[in-house]
Amino acid sequence: MPRRTNRLTERKARTMPLDVPRIHDVPDDLLAAIDYCYAQGWTDGLPVIPPVVERVGAMLAFEGRPPEAVICSHPATGLQLTVHAAAVNAVMAGCLPEYFPVLVAAFEAMDKPDFNFHGSTASTGGSAPLLIVSGSYADDIGMNADVNLFGPGNRANATIGRATRLILRNVFQMIPGISDKSTQGNPGKYSFCIAERARGNPWPLLCEAQGYPPGVSSVTAFAGGGFCNVENHGGSTPEEILGSVADAMANYGCITLGQSAVVLAPEHMRILADAGWTRQDAQSFLFVRARRSVDGMRSVGKYRQSEYDKQHDAEAHALVAPDFVHRGLSPDDILITMGGGDAGGHSCFIPSWSRGRGSLMQHKPIGVCIDCD
Amino acid sequence: MQLYDPTSAGPERSLSRAAALAGLEGRTIGILENGKLNAVEMLGEVASLFVARHGCTVRAVYAKSNASAPAPAETLARAAAEVDFLITGLGD
Repeated sequence: MPRRTNRLTERKARTMPLDVPRIHDVPDDLLAAIDYCYAQGWTDGLPVIPPVVERVGAMLAFEGRPPEAVICSHPATGLQLTVHAAAVNAVMAGCLPEYFPVLVAAFEAMDKPDFNFHGSTASTGGSAPLLIVSGSYADDIGMNADVNLFGPGNRANATIGRATRLILRNVFQMIPGISDKSTQGNPGKYSFCIAERARGNPWPLLCEAQGYPPGVSSVTAFAGGGFCNVENHGGSTPEEILGSVADAMANYGCITLGQSAVVLAPEHMRILADAGWTRQDAQSFLFVRARRSVDGMRSVGKYRQSEYDKQHDAEAHALVAPDFVHRGLSPDDILITMGGGDAGGHSCFIPSWSRGRGSLMQHKPIGVCIDCD
Repeated sequence: MQLYDPTSAGPERSLSRAAALAGLEGRTIGILENGKLNAVEMLGEVASLFVARHGCTVRAVYAKSNASAPAPAETLARAAAEVDFLITGLGD
């Protein structure tokens, strides 16, 4: 597999951190080393691969910048993620070296200010960064976009997502109960990483829609608040299928002005494609339908005049209806893609952690740098 | 066996507290609310205690549009120029 670094332009290393790699000498006993990692508080509760020096070196070979280059910074504490620290945690999570560019790109995406990296990891909301890998790189490293999409069994999906959590814990010190104040958290906080399904997908892939050049893959990071299965085996039109998705998006427990991620099952997507629906058609439909009346919002104590005003101000989207609160501010706030196995009418909706503009999804190309600073 | 440490020691930062006020009597108060439900009400109640007990005056209420992001630098600069001390808080 080719090493994918700096194909389009040279990356510039950011400020070098003060932190330098530290080495722990432990006995040559693998099980004891795993226990040592537990004792140090370095794990997510599951055993980790001890980050031996040799494996970290192999991981670093898949990144063109020097080990001390900074990928991502935590504004509240000043903590910084270096290429080296990312590689150490990737090894611990079980990543293969060729997965590393995805992890690096994911943290570059989360480093964008609008992602609000601090808030989305510290909040009581219990967010987990959902990573969606789009493009051929997902296939190159054997990611799963098919059966059991969000479930276990694929090394790349599982370990890239897990490495994300280990970095949040170990590098950025988002420790449950201390700086991670999640009321309940969600299972995605162990790992929440999928590939977009290209096979049979009638729509442009996300990486294409995001404007990346042909052949460039991307990763999208979304501060996800959980997972809601949308079952519909009886619907046979786009309106019926998306009507059930919209209902999930507008449930009183979830509806806010925040963004949404929707992953349509192939069976559902075929119904849309056969009717000639584009991604934009689906986004508009969902935006119109995923709404609650002002009276309804009041009935559950969730109505806030300031939020209503924000959605209905002079810059309101043309599809915003008076006396209703929609999910999001516009159809563009709804990411829709396809994933999962061929059989089954099971799509899903993933609400944003943010109840408004507190965290906006971000994306970055994988293994290349485009228009870098 | 040699293991790399996966944690970050963090940068050395020079942080210092603002000098304490010599006293509270007659001081001006600013409230920095974060946009969460009931934040203004709760912080206002706290401010009212300073008003009642120390003759303070609430001069300004500043707002953040994003509860989980730092207040904009210009907001803090404005508050520093306009009031003697600021009351803020974060909670659910």
